[in-house]
Amino acid sequence: MTRINEPLLQLKDVTAGYGAGLVLKGVNLDVMPGQIICLIGPNGAGKSTVLKTISGLLGIKGGEVIFKGHEISTLSSKQRLGLGIVHVPQDRSLFPAMTVWENILMGAFILKDQKLINERIEQAAELFPIIIARKNAAAGSLSGGEQKQVEVARSLMLDPALILLDEPSIGLDPKSRKLVFESISLLSKAGRTILLVEQNARSGLAVSDRGAVLEAGRVALVGTGAGLLEDPEVSRLYLGASSK
Amino acid sequence: MHLVIQALILGSLTGGVYALMASGQTLIFGIMKVINLAQGAFVIVASYLTFSLFQMTGLDPFLLIVITTPIMFILGVATQWFLLKPLRPDDAAELSLLVTFAVALGLEGALSLFYKTTLRSIMPGYENHSWTVWGYQVNEVRFYAFLLSIAMLGILYLLLQKTKFGRSVRATVQNPMSAQLLGVNSKAVSAFGFGLGVSTTAAAGAVFGLITPFNPGSHYDLISRLLTIVVLGGMGAIGGSVIAALMMGVGAALVSALASPIWSDFTFFIVLLLVLLIRPRGLFGAKVRGAL
Repeated sequence: MTRINEPLLQLKDVTAGYGAGLVLKGVNLDVMPGQIICLIGPNGAGKSTVLKTISGLLGIKGGEVIFKGHEISTLSSKQRLGLGIVHVPQDRSLFPAMTVWENILMGAFILKDQKLINERIEQAAELFPIIIARKNAAAGSLSGGEQKQVEVARSLMLDPALILLDEPSIGLDPKSRKLVFESISLLSKAGRTILLVEQNARSGLAVSDRGAVLEAGRVALVGTGAGLLEDPEVSRLYLGASSK
Repeated sequence: MHLVIQALILGSLTGGVYALMASGQTLIFGIMKVINLAQGAFVIVASYLTFSLFQMTGLDPFLLIVITTPIMFILGVATQWFLLKPLRPDDAAELSLLVTFAVALGLEGALSLFYKTTLRSIMPGYENHSWTVWGYQVNEVRFYAFLLSIAMLGILYLLLQKTKFGRSVRATVQNPMSAQLLGVNSKAVSAFGFGLGVSTTAAAGAVFGLITPFNPGSHYDLISRLLTIVVLGGMGAIGGSVIAALMMGVGAALVSALASPIWSDFTFFIVLLLVLLIRPRGLFGAKVRGAL
């Protein structure tokens, strides 16, 4: 059980990488329950790698990943899923030739209680009616924004304690992007805890309670979403504005 | 005209048997991107298994499929688990060709040691029976085999489309990383899927042994036909491979009837060449990656 003033997730000096090289060189980060925290930074800083070390897609080489007070870095991705850590990866993660309904059912793959699955679908459909409206459509036939909505709805099937959202707006047209950030706002209002990685830093920070800047494999700066949006250095480097 | 219709009947019935063999091959390719060059050898193993069990028990070869199917399933799972799973993911697609070819040669060698190279046939007594329907001959064994193929393909379809396991298989085919993130054990799905693909050879082997004399080397001819069907249908598309198998069965029977039986086998390779030159993704190749 996590108390409200204790971090839901803590990364302590986490190092990780692919092959011999290190991408993360000592990442420290706290994620508080019920908050959205947005991770921004340049390409190659290791933002997506952070999410992979939390969901278990990538093992760490040093440090600790602590979830609800317990060290989880030795657990498999399936075990972490069972703890309520859901990862929505950067690439489109729907199964394109399966229907929207089948995709949603896949979100509940590790659940066995059909009554519970039905309840979760109803709850997800309240936030994202598209999963009912387009239930028989092939997921691959939806627009980019609609697909992201279904992905996010699917992530709710396990009633997750923590949602890891990796670049949800990447490659989308402006209308679809708007749809995605509206979806994140909906999750925020529903009290979900989200660690968001977003290249579109302005939109990401705008929907977040807190933000963190990742540079060269380390967290260089942490602040409130609004505070970082007003920070001249952050603005100059990541928001496309000139410094005052 | 009589000759053409007779060829159509014979070709459709034979095509149904090839459809069964090719559906297993397609399933394996769809799940693991492995071109299983041992599929023909597995069919021959199943033919020998049926042959021996028939000699020992005297039970009908079609009934023996109930026994041979789990045996072939276990053989498939063991092949995947011990020989294919250890391959490094980056090299798996290429190396699996060599590994499955080695498996085919190994099985051929083992069968040759045990059964020698004499041609064998499964002869329950009705293998040459035919019915005459409106003046056309319908071979009894091929007809049963055709019905069996439809039943087995129906079971395969229901398994893939209507069960949780089937959903996990299709999900793994379409997006392996995403399936893993949702809790699908992709290693178990691969092993089970390979076993399932090989288990289709139990029925196919029984039928093959009933309609064709076979020896351990018969798998070369078989695998070349199967690959033609799978490529023609579109790699990974089970529905496509069924239609392609029927087309090839009918095509070969028509060539045999209208030209010469010698050219009948050659039809497969001409079609393979044309498909590779004109439409490499096959006639029914999935527009969506890996759509089973």
